[in-house]
Amino acid sequence: MTQLEAARQGIVTKEMQQVAEKERVAVEVIQQGLVEGTIVIPFNSQKTDKDPQGIGKGLSTKVSASIGTGKNSSAMENELEKLKVALSAGAHTIMDLSLGGNLDLIRRRILANCPVPIGTLPVYQAFAESFTDKGVLGIDIESMFQIIEKQAKDGVDFMGFHSAMTLETLDRMTKQGRVNDLVSWGGALLAGWMIYHERENPLYTYYDRILEIAEKYDITLSLADGLRPGCLADSLDRAQMQELIILGELVDRARAAGVQIMIKGPGHVHPNQINATIIMEKQLCQGAPYFVFGPLATDVVPGHDHITSAIGGALAAGAGADFLCYVTPAEHVRFPTIEDVREGVIAARIAAHVGDLMKGIEGAKEWDLEMSKARLPWNTTKQKEVALDPDALPEEGEQIVTKCNLCSGKCAIRTLANHLGRDAWIC
Amino acid sequence: MTQMIKALAGEITLEMKKVAQKERIDEEIIRERIAKGLLVIPKNKLRNNVEPMGIGLGLRTKVNASIGTSPNYPDIQGELKKLQTATQAGADTIMDLSTGGNIDGMRNMTIQNTHLPVGTVPIYQAAIESIEQNGSVIAMTGEKMFEVIERQAKDGVDFMAIHCAINQAVIERLKNQSRITDIVSRGGGFLTGWMLHNEKENPLYAEFDRVLEIAKKYDVTLSIGDAIRPGCIADSLDRAQVQGLVFVGELVARAREAGVQVMVEGPGHVPIDQVHSTIQLQKQLCQGAPFFVLGTLVTDIAPGYDHITSAIGGTLAAWAGADFICYVTPAEHLRLPNEDDVREGVIAARIATHAADIAKGVIGAKEWDLEMSKARKALDWEQQIALSVDPEKASQVRQERNDSSTEACSMCGNFCAMKVVSEYLGKEQHSC
Repeated sequence: MTQLEAARQGIVTKEMQQVAEKERVAVEVIQQGLVEGTIVIPFNSQKTDKDPQGIGKGLSTKVSASIGTGKNSSAMENELEKLKVALSAGAHTIMDLSLGGNLDLIRRRILANCPVPIGTLPVYQAFAESFTDKGVLGIDIESMFQIIEKQAKDGVDFMGFHSAMTLETLDRMTKQGRVNDLVSWGGALLAGWMIYHERENPLYTYYDRILEIAEKYDITLSLADGLRPGCLADSLDRAQMQELIILGELVDRARAAGVQIMIKGPGHVHPNQINATIIMEKQLCQGAPYFVFGPLATDVVPGHDHITSAIGGALAAGAGADFLCYVTPAEHVRFPTIEDVREGVIAARIAAHVGDLMKGIEGAKEWDLEMSKARLPWNTTKQKEVALDPDALPEEGEQIVTKCNLCSGKCAIRTLANHLGRDAWIC
Repeated sequence: MTQMIKALAGEITLEMKKVAQKERIDEEIIRERIAKGLLVIPKNKLRNNVEPMGIGLGLRTKVNASIGTSPNYPDIQGELKKLQTATQAGADTIMDLSTGGNIDGMRNMTIQNTHLPVGTVPIYQAAIESIEQNGSVIAMTGEKMFEVIERQAKDGVDFMAIHCAINQAVIERLKNQSRITDIVSRGGGFLTGWMLHNEKENPLYAEFDRVLEIAKKYDVTLSIGDAIRPGCIADSLDRAQVQGLVFVGELVARAREAGVQVMVEGPGHVPIDQVHSTIQLQKQLCQGAPFFVLGTLVTDIAPGYDHITSAIGGTLAAWAGADFICYVTPAEHLRLPNEDDVREGVIAARIATHAADIAKGVIGAKEWDLEMSKARKALDWEQQIALSVDPEKASQVRQERNDSSTEACSMCGNFCAMKVVSEYLGKEQHSC
């Protein structure tokens, strides 16, 4: 039984209970959100000992970190190290997007070492494995579904599929005349396959088969947007909207099948369009949780896209996005290093928290208040405890400035402190 | 040649000059925006009694008043009175939506009796004539639709609402959506019924090039009809509406390609938090084409007062970038409007567009308010009335409880704040 089906029957699962406790909301809120489809708990039904995460309306905004071997960087140990770093930096979920090496082995190792929900894009494995075989155009549909089922059996909690990138959607894109066409890697390869074979997207045609597998293992679907905008100029265009309309219909079908579903979105979005982007997803997809990449609020800062994404991500979360996919400083530049992963997670968590402040999430502004209080009087121990990234603060005893003598006794801060009846603090 | 083709060729027409003068904008900017499709001047080539009116980016937001006969009220004279009322109240364009009596006669009388641009919805007449000639709307032929469009164009109609973007794909989306109010556009309803019954594609979509040909020949500005506009706030920004808008966007691109002036019609009922996104999405999907919106009505529950629900939504819509507001009268959802309704509707829409123009920074908008404020401070009643959005009403209200022989205002009498403060500041005194 899926969490959604359980909620519909009025059952309160252990996972609902755990999520409610973490979020400090009543378990009925979680249950109701699941029933309405505005909350998902990605949690493969074969699991027992994992840490569930609730994603959706009224809950704190979550952050996902993507790791995985590259085509030419297949060192598994390196990716396992990234996993560790991402978790310690506070990622709420992990996506394994491995393309190189023994993909089954890597996935299983990640699953074994990761207490939080894990997502994949099964077509990545299909594509990657075809490189040494028949090539992407030689992939047959049956083998795609075998991979999906295999990954589900392994315990993957959520899966991305480009199911709404139909021939109709591609037609809209062609007529639109985009600047950057398709920037989704999986989407582009799949589109090439569709055009070559003159066939409809199998992930759309056989969507019911996906639903069947998802229902069996309680895989939360994360329907991906093949047509996500790859630059500000392509944002909110007809191609993107066409795909979102079809995504909305697929949300209906998933819910009817008792399958948990969220929607994956942008990409590069003009800052003035972020609010409308989120509203459109919520409208067209009946409030399904929105998982957004970035969004990058400008195109011109390669090397610093964790910052462009933190800006866009904060606005997106504030407007109602529920789940942010991190972007690392390596985006558009190189294969991410371990340090990039850490930077990416922290930047996305800042955005998520700012979004939570805007959304009025339980406990968000109280967190800020706690930090503010730790600053007056100056309490480094408390600050380190409260900080989003404690590692950014010096170790205890490492304080460089403890006593200030700059003004030779004529201290402005002390004068002010006396006036306010407080203890003097460091300036 | 259309205004757009001339603009593309670098020509600044007399019409562009007049619009530039009225709006106090450089005529080269007007030309450039027409060439890009960001601005239209609806003026049929065959019409010579029309005052050119610009609609689009950077211009004052315009207001349309709809009039027209219905089968139960086919009286042309009554509608011509409404035309006069709407014009006096300050409407910028007139739409003749007649569906009863002598439709051709009504249209020709409208065109003869106004200097404002005139718009129509040709599918109304095509449907009514099909009912009269063949007994039903579903018996309408594609030929009939095009014949009526051409007939109206020849009569001098300046802009036409044509529901070209409702097609089988949109209807499929509508079916999958389960809406509350389905289709509330009359023209859209006629066409959808026709398409479903005949199991055929919408001829106005399938043969859009024919529409373009006629529009180009007479320089009729297309106003792509919003067949799938939301009829209640619950249906706003749903998949059917957005699917319709995606196709509208493609047709806008084709119209521009053909040198045809084009604008886009929109909502309808929109919850207040979606008004901004609605406008932004239209501008994005239709590459900045002028947006002509009905209302928007921000709540469903105030029949009898929908000029007010629309003034609220219209203000937000125009502020967000809507260029042209179709008025809604207090009679909306209830009955055919009378003359008073028309007047109230136009004034409410003008208040909305003006409030938005202040926010948009349209040239002259905030200056109007400043003038009024100065007249108010100076207790210059004559000037205040002259500057009113509705001088007639301002004058009438002023007279009701004031002795016409004095300069007093019965609101505060001698306790007038303006007067007291003037005394305190040692400025010239005014009687109140």
